[in-house]
Amino acid sequence: MVTELTTSGDLRLGQELVEDSGLRFEEGYDNLVGLYEGPELIACGARAGNILKMLALRPQAQGGAVLGELITELVRLGCRAGHDSFFVFTPPQNAPSFQALNFRLLVSHPKAALLEYGQGLQHYLAQKSILVRRGDNGALIANCNPFTLGHRYLIERAAAQVDSLYVFVVREDRSAFPFEARLSLVEAGVGDLGNVIVLDSSHYAISAVTFPAYFLKAGDSPTQIQMEIDLLLFARHLAPFFGVRRRFIGTEPRCGTTHRYSEAMKRTLAPLGIETVQIERKTAGDEPISAYRVREAMARGELAALESLLPATTLEYIHSKEGRQIRRRLAEDQRRH
Amino acid sequence: MEITRKVQAGTLQSSDLMIFLEPADALVIEIESTVKAQFEHLIRARIEAVLERHGVRAGRVRITDRGALDYAIEARMETALKRAKEA
Repeated sequence: MVTELTTSGDLRLGQELVEDSGLRFEEGYDNLVGLYEGPELIACGARAGNILKMLALRPQAQGGAVLGELITELVRLGCRAGHDSFFVFTPPQNAPSFQALNFRLLVSHPKAALLEYGQGLQHYLAQKSILVRRGDNGALIANCNPFTLGHRYLIERAAAQVDSLYVFVVREDRSAFPFEARLSLVEAGVGDLGNVIVLDSSHYAISAVTFPAYFLKAGDSPTQIQMEIDLLLFARHLAPFFGVRRRFIGTEPRCGTTHRYSEAMKRTLAPLGIETVQIERKTAGDEPISAYRVREAMARGELAALESLLPATTLEYIHSKEGRQIRRRLAEDQRRH
Repeated sequence: MEITRKVQAGTLQSSDLMIFLEPADALVIEIESTVKAQFEHLIRARIEAVLERHGVRAGRVRITDRGALDYAIEARMETALKRAKEA
């Protein structure tokens, strides 16, 4: 029977099994479950939120019912924790084992396949279908943590070049500003632009924070693979649904990650018929306006500096009770580092 | 009866199915199956029969099936419905 692995002995065997299978044992999971045959742990797997990972089976457990047993238990625990659908990132050669369990292949990349169990993508698209507009459309995906005058400028410039512009706000809640606040500040900040549609990315923007790298080999770049999977997911599923032919991104010459992301974007999207359009960032006092700059100023308590970076709607939030709490947290984080 | 909460029953094993129920305004049945092309209509008919018997008129029913036989579909559905009305 599949059980949760909790004792230090369980964990040691789990780690051994994962590592013997050529995978890396990553801390940071919600459940780790396994199956014993006598004293030997013959299979294990973990769940981190709605991501299933570190599924490892001894040779004698492969090809039979064990994978299904592990995933049944992880899905049961995940449902109890409130998740509806589940992702697995796995080497491409393993995709068929998951497809046999009713997982749907969302993205196939030379180094990794992304599959989903539970029709989440269809639901997300069905829910958003009322927002679909005909025409030559564009998309912009942003965290907006929080929404700045830089975002406003980017969106304005992008919206002027397309029939409709979809602004996807990254749902994942790992940012200083909670998702609901980020979304409503974007809505408030672009409400006067008639052809801009603001929506949440749900789970369909893969972030570096949750991307599991446990199965990648030494020498593979997790960051690059995560970016490419994220872009393929967008190009294969979101862009065709919303009629998006152009994807917009702000340039930020000083940020290495953003630069790599825009390079990956051009390379990955072009063959799939989506053009990458870079827009020069708006500056304030010779520096590009960025959400990072806003959070830094908040942490240092330099509220006057925010006036040139933020629209009135975001400023108002920062001065609200919720905004004060975020300021306090940012200041504490900075003291700790 | 009414589906009052989100529940799950069944497994991902071969010859079994997993069922997810949750409250909804209308009745929606979604079926994923490794034998969908051949048997979706029969699976649906079986699910509908159980819902009918319990007088369920609304809810979202999600099924992932791996070739379950009729009695397995009925049994899993009965269990899921029992769980959906437990306090």
